[in-house]
Amino acid sequence: MTGAPSFGIDRRGVSVVAWSCYLFLLLPSLIVIPISFGNPGEIQFPPRQFSLALYRQFFSDPAWWGSLLESLGVALATTIASLCLAVPAAYALSRSRLAGRALLRGLFMMPMLVPVVVLGLGLYLQYSDWGLLDTSAGLVLAHVTLAVPFIMVSVMSGLAHADVALETVALIMGASRLRIFFRVVLPQLSSAIAVGALFAFLTSLDEVVVAYFVTGTSTMTLPVKMYSAIRWELSPVIAAVSTLLTVVSLSIALGIIALQRPTEANS
Amino acid sequence: MLNARSQLSPAASTMVELAGVSKNYGPVNALLPVDLTIAKGEFVTLLGPSGSGKSTLLNLIAGMITPSAGRIVIDGRDATAMPTNKRGLGMVFQNYALMPHMTVFENIAFPLQVRHMSRAEIRERVEKVLDLIQLRHVADRRPKALSGGQQQRISLARCIVYNPALILMDEPLGALDKNLREQMQLEIKRLHAELGITMLYVTHDQDEALTMSDRIVLMNSGRIEQQGPPEQLYFEPTTVFAAQFIGSSNILVGDVMDQAGGTAIRTSVGTFPVRTAAHDFAAGQRAALLVRPENLRLVDEGTALPNIAGQIEDSIVMGGVIRHFVRCADKSVIIVQELNQPGLPRPQRGSLVRAGWSTAHGRLLPPAPSAEGTQG
Amino acid sequence: MAAPQMSSSSDLNPKAAALLLAPLTIVMLLVFVYPLLTTAWTSIHPDTGLSLAAYVELFHSTLFLKTLRTTFEISISGTLVSLLIGFPVAMHLTVQPPRRRTGYLILVMLPFWTSILVKSFALTVVFGNQGLVNQFLGLVSGGTLNIPMMFNRTGVIIGMINFLLPFMILSILGSLLAQDAMLIRAAETMGAGSFRIFWRIILPLSMPGVVAGVLINMTLSIGMYITPALLGGRQDMMVANLVDFYTRQTLDWTAASATAMVLFAISACLVAMLGRIRGAQGLSGAAA
Repeated sequence: MTGAPSFGIDRRGVSVVAWSCYLFLLLPSLIVIPISFGNPGEIQFPPRQFSLALYRQFFSDPAWWGSLLESLGVALATTIASLCLAVPAAYALSRSRLAGRALLRGLFMMPMLVPVVVLGLGLYLQYSDWGLLDTSAGLVLAHVTLAVPFIMVSVMSGLAHADVALETVALIMGASRLRIFFRVVLPQLSSAIAVGALFAFLTSLDEVVVAYFVTGTSTMTLPVKMYSAIRWELSPVIAAVSTLLTVVSLSIALGIIALQRPTEANS
Repeated sequence: MLNARSQLSPAASTMVELAGVSKNYGPVNALLPVDLTIAKGEFVTLLGPSGSGKSTLLNLIAGMITPSAGRIVIDGRDATAMPTNKRGLGMVFQNYALMPHMTVFENIAFPLQVRHMSRAEIRERVEKVLDLIQLRHVADRRPKALSGGQQQRISLARCIVYNPALILMDEPLGALDKNLREQMQLEIKRLHAELGITMLYVTHDQDEALTMSDRIVLMNSGRIEQQGPPEQLYFEPTTVFAAQFIGSSNILVGDVMDQAGGTAIRTSVGTFPVRTAAHDFAAGQRAALLVRPENLRLVDEGTALPNIAGQIEDSIVMGGVIRHFVRCADKSVIIVQELNQPGLPRPQRGSLVRAGWSTAHGRLLPPAPSAEGTQG
Repeated sequence: MAAPQMSSSSDLNPKAAALLLAPLTIVMLLVFVYPLLTTAWTSIHPDTGLSLAAYVELFHSTLFLKTLRTTFEISISGTLVSLLIGFPVAMHLTVQPPRRRTGYLILVMLPFWTSILVKSFALTVVFGNQGLVNQFLGLVSGGTLNIPMMFNRTGVIIGMINFLLPFMILSILGSLLAQDAMLIRAAETMGAGSFRIFWRIILPLSMPGVVAGVLINMTLSIGMYITPALLGGRQDMMVANLVDFYTRQTLDWTAASATAMVLFAISACLVAMLGRIRGAQGLSGAAA
């Protein structure tokens, strides 16, 4: 509908609303960046002086960079674990005729549909019984369930686009299923897996509610620390943390978008 | 081109044997019970229209489907329940099925790696087979960078390189244009002659089957209609379907009757003597007379040859031959194909003519299950 | 021609498939399903044994009822606002040439990737009492104008729509893009004016996307935790915050579980409705 009618409403009015919206959506994340380079004493925009003091503050406080390390570690472990679990499962779902496939697929997607706080509480109650509260392993497991739906969507889409004939011909040539999976299927899934991995990593890195319920002092993640800081302290170092997080998030997001482009061009 | 036909006893020289093999999907019969033998080194083509069961048969041999009944023996071993990757087969697909993420060399090397061969041996074999198809120079390219014909040759090379018992080919040339297709047909024939690998080819194109095969297995509605060397199927079809599927035909339906000195058939356009028949016919039986267009000639009024009277509806020049469409008294049309020569008088549209043939060229066939008096 | 038959036959055998699915299934059952069941179990096991007492108490609790009401108020108003803003934005995107549209869509989707904490913090910087907007207002009004937009209902709504808009926009955009430009042109030829075209053709045909967008927004906003906690006042506690309150403050795990279950039930209903709509869309071939 390019260049089509004006929808009965002033074209310019629509543009104004639209641009205000884009600005509204984008501006907040970007505004923290200049603030983080400002005076460490107060949160100010525009910053009156350029200084790296807030970053120094962040990196010299073990509570802060410790939580960053914890978050990165958990995110990495979550990504690896959920890939190892979800990729074979996606392959089995898409290439077999097992009864109950639809049910299993529903199960794997469910975490997207349940309010996070419900899961947070459930894990809190369950982990207390199992002694998994305040453990990195417990948090990784929890994040895996949240990351799996993303990987499923990406990899199942990749599998739908992969050529089944290649697996067939490899079978006829005598290859075992294992060899086929690693040498024929996975290479075709490389970008789908990469996208899923980036989603998983980002989901875990930014996740705050479940982490809030399930972590303790020794396993505090960056988002949980940020949450407390914003809620109770509101110290300007939060601006530096926000910038770091935003830069990481946006890089990952652009990576995902870049990886997804070629497939859109092909289909 | 010589055929590598073995003279040994059947058992030792049989590569594939199907006994009573059938496949049905619920009430739908994709393949009715079939017996088929393929000798070592033979080039057999499964020919037929879509839905004839030829692809089903191929897939059963490949192991992609399991039979509903029957036994499949490949290279002496009972393969009925054997998984696909243990059958020692090769297959060429219409869409080439080359791994896009591997180079040509890696694609061909793949089945050799599956067989745990040494790097040196793999290199040697791959290069040899690349020389065979004259594509050594593209070894390091990706399949996407090559033409359809090149990709198909590489697909074939990938089969040849590990010397499987049997190479299956499912309409492999369907995606290529006419000239390329004919080139590839000859190329495949050449490789077959040189290497002697047993080949099972599936196609719906009769010309392709006639060009390439040692033996054609003609299939129709899940059954084997007729099988034999190409010439046999062409000159000695046993059914109307076979006569119409391979080559052009004129079919005249009528009743068999005894005549002085032999058999004859009485049709709506005349009674004609017959000398060859697909099997014995009793007097009074319904039958179909096959006369191929190239065996018909426009003849004069007083000819001694059996002939049919009619009117020229159209005459089409096709380069070296000319086809006359003759409308007979019973409204059916027969096709007469004559060699075209410059200076030959062209009959006018509507002129009365007679199409005649020598008795030896007429063949009696059992009547087709449904239609009357068809020509194809 | 061979491919369709092939793909059905080169299936992974059931045993191998089960083997590949087992690890993930076990993890999901243990770490996702089981905790949910535990919550349900806890909610019906107050100190007095198996009973629905917790729920009864909940629905007699003014705190719960108030929180529930607040949640619906905020969700519905937030959804409406994002609908009012999102529809024009979707229209704007529809009339863009495809390549530019992709660029704009990236703009719309990027905030989806940034942490909600960062966004909440940034919103306080922009809309807070000493924030950018109020600074600007103070400047132009000579220091008299100052609108409190944070740490109150307005703040929650602002934070909410910042999060919800992309979903609403994408949903409506799908419907608008699927509309046949020919319909519009035909209407114009018949003499229909711009407003009539919008009211009688474009709007009704965009309904599937609007309804889906509304349901998605409601589903997402009902369970919100961070936004009301960081951007709202004491009067703006939502159900998710209540769960936290019961868990950490009053240590009343039964009440917390019951509250969580109520939230789960409401969310499940919305998801079911969404599924029904999506299914109907799929059948009629309309925009999805």
